[in-house]
Amino acid sequence: MKKMVISLLVLSVLGFALNAEQVTLKVLNYIDATQAGYADDKAIWDAFAKANPDIDLVKEELFNEPFHQKTEAYIAAGQLPDVLFAWPSGRSASLHTKNLLKDLKPLLGSDLNNFVPAAVNPANQSGNKLAILPQSVTYTTAMYANVALLKANGLAVPKTYAELKAMVPKLKAKGIQTVLMANKDTWVMQSCLFSTVSGRMAGNAFIDSVIKGNAKFTDKPFVDALTFIATLYKDGVLSKDTIQTGYGEVPQLFADGKAAFLIDGDWRVGAFLTDKASGKALIAPAAQKSDFEIISFPSIPGEKNPGLISAIVGTGYGISTNVAAGSAVEKAAVKLVQYLYSPAVQKVRLETGAYIPSRKNVTSDKIEPLSGKLAAYYGKIPVTGYVLDGVIDGDNAPVVEVLNNGLQEIGIGTKTPAEVAAAMQAKVIAKK
Amino acid sequence: MSSATKVATVTSAKREERRAYWVMILPAFVLYLFVMAFPTIISVFLSLSNYNGGKLFGGQAWGLTGFAQYTHLFGDRFFWNALANNMWIVVISVFGQIPLGFLFAYIIYRKLVKAPAFWQGVLYMPSIISTIVIGLLWQTIFSPFGPVAEIMNTLYKADFHTHVTALLAGGVTLDDAGIQSLIKLANPDSLSIFSQPVQDLKDFVATYSSNTSGELADDLTNLLFNKWKTDFMSQPGVAMIPVLFVILWLYTGFYLIIFLANLQKIDESIIEAAKIDGASEFQILKSIIIPAMSGVIVTSAILAISGSLKSFDLVYAMTGGGPAKITQILAIYMYDTAFRGSPNYPLANAISTVMVVVSFLLIGVTRTVEQRYGGKE
Repeated sequence: MKKMVISLLVLSVLGFALNAEQVTLKVLNYIDATQAGYADDKAIWDAFAKANPDIDLVKEELFNEPFHQKTEAYIAAGQLPDVLFAWPSGRSASLHTKNLLKDLKPLLGSDLNNFVPAAVNPANQSGNKLAILPQSVTYTTAMYANVALLKANGLAVPKTYAELKAMVPKLKAKGIQTVLMANKDTWVMQSCLFSTVSGRMAGNAFIDSVIKGNAKFTDKPFVDALTFIATLYKDGVLSKDTIQTGYGEVPQLFADGKAAFLIDGDWRVGAFLTDKASGKALIAPAAQKSDFEIISFPSIPGEKNPGLISAIVGTGYGISTNVAAGSAVEKAAVKLVQYLYSPAVQKVRLETGAYIPSRKNVTSDKIEPLSGKLAAYYGKIPVTGYVLDGVIDGDNAPVVEVLNNGLQEIGIGTKTPAEVAAAMQAKVIAKK
Repeated sequence: MSSATKVATVTSAKREERRAYWVMILPAFVLYLFVMAFPTIISVFLSLSNYNGGKLFGGQAWGLTGFAQYTHLFGDRFFWNALANNMWIVVISVFGQIPLGFLFAYIIYRKLVKAPAFWQGVLYMPSIISTIVIGLLWQTIFSPFGPVAEIMNTLYKADFHTHVTALLAGGVTLDDAGIQSLIKLANPDSLSIFSQPVQDLKDFVATYSSNTSGELADDLTNLLFNKWKTDFMSQPGVAMIPVLFVILWLYTGFYLIIFLANLQKIDESIIEAAKIDGASEFQILKSIIIPAMSGVIVTSAILAISGSLKSFDLVYAMTGGGPAKITQILAIYMYDTAFRGSPNYPLANAISTVMVVVSFLLIGVTRTVEQRYGGKE
């Protein structure tokens, strides 16, 4: 009896000790649970949980606007999760300007040498520190072309805007839209097309000048860029239907041949690849190889920077400053981040078409044709430009809201490009 | 019992009564203070500050800034647009859902329709479906690629195709007069893609050989027919109409149930007596039913007003307040201000305060109307 009592006591003390080492790690992850590749993502997280039974992962998964809104709600409540997905600037401006993420440099140490320099350069993030580790360099304009559809209608991939415009009657006659975009969400036009257009017509230096107060959004180059968006609608290159088309709808519509082109970010390639869980793909690998291409937006009349595509260091994971330095939670958080950026995990990301990793020397012979075409597309981009919501942030963040909204107003015809430019300028707080 | 003892007993009973009153009322009162009153007061307080999120105490420093947010709010065109949209919802709720709900309840109650239980179920069904599901459902229905657009365009195309086929009856070579006739038939918007419609269309037609007139008719139809668009959902002034229609469809059943439950409480013998006295259906409605229901109608109006001002989920799921904020309502405006783009918590709190004030004002108006014109139950 005495032995039994002692054994129970030892067990309970041991249990308490073990329990004391159990760490709960709250994570806010960004993922579309309906997209191909979700099962692969889940498997990545499950593997971490299995390999680390001492870490209880409490993971929340959201996508698109609900993710950003939840992040802002957590910020407002002062209850950020321990590890969270974030943007290096713009969309996660509050996290950076309020200094809510830790500097990852001292936490991740020498492993950062294994990443491309742009990804680990603190200057590429709003807070001028490595608040998140970018998983990739993101090109926010990618024009997905259904070349089989073009060929069937006697058309070829356009090199100039005039060629693109000339396609409109021919495609419309067959009941096909020329360019599909998900412009119901206001950020899409700004991030996925207008940033490239303004980069080509006005350039990065112009935006820098506006922020410093040496130029204005009402100046000709920027108004011309806005006017080009109005022209896209007027010429029928973009249908007004796109203003009512949601972000979740477009991959299926494009895969179904409702439009000859889809303009989105490079990340959207993942939506077309084979989902390992179901074995299905919106565009089968064979069709990806023969029928589809990823091309640069055609040259625009009056552009100063030909071939420019808007790009930004990509999204990634960061650790909340609420996590105490040296604590067990911080160790668990660092362990998770190191795992998520490990060569093995990044290889899966490459294979599922999520992105081309910023970690060097990640290769695979299993990538699908469209992912390969994305890499080839990167190689053809001569120069990159600002993604506007990535550089116009902080005190000037309301300018982006006016722009995003204004791009829709131009589309529906309730505001002229000059009026949108004037409304933007009115919100600028110059930083000399 | 002496009078002094009697007084002491009465006082003790009153004290006991008061204690029992507080014991029973206190839990609900405390709950109300914490869940309703406290957040409202805090919200008003924050609307007068420059609090920018995080911990209220021990976080970033913040202080009172007066009515700056209200000045900003009243100068913002999107606020007035959102308020106007909310007022439309109030109008459709009070003057649409309540009269319709009452009418349907009366028809069912008086058994003026066959299978009343069936109709009751059909009309109430939308109220039991998740509002988000309803919003997404109607968004799909009104989508440019949705079933309504598909059906309407099939009909429009068939009609246009008949005209084009008649024009092409003589072969595919359309002369200037033929092209002009085609342009007259065409939807003017569809011509905006041509810089010189006559010449461009001539060139377009010239690319077809004479044995492809069927294909040409199909293609000209696609190119020029008056496409049924869902553009009205992105036009200021009319974009709210589909939303208002869905709100009417969704909540009418809710008021039907409220009215039906209260109609069933009316003593049947009064109606029977009126019928024996020769009262018509309209007289029964006017002189018995409506006066008996006036209190319920006012309660329903209050529910409709407060529900309309705080409505969020349906509009958010259907349009998200867009495009270009034209279908935005106060609750979405407040939410966007607090949690999207560059958050402004004091402004968001100012919006919520205005919502509370507008709600009180409208409920006050409703009560005044009821007191002046309403009957007594």
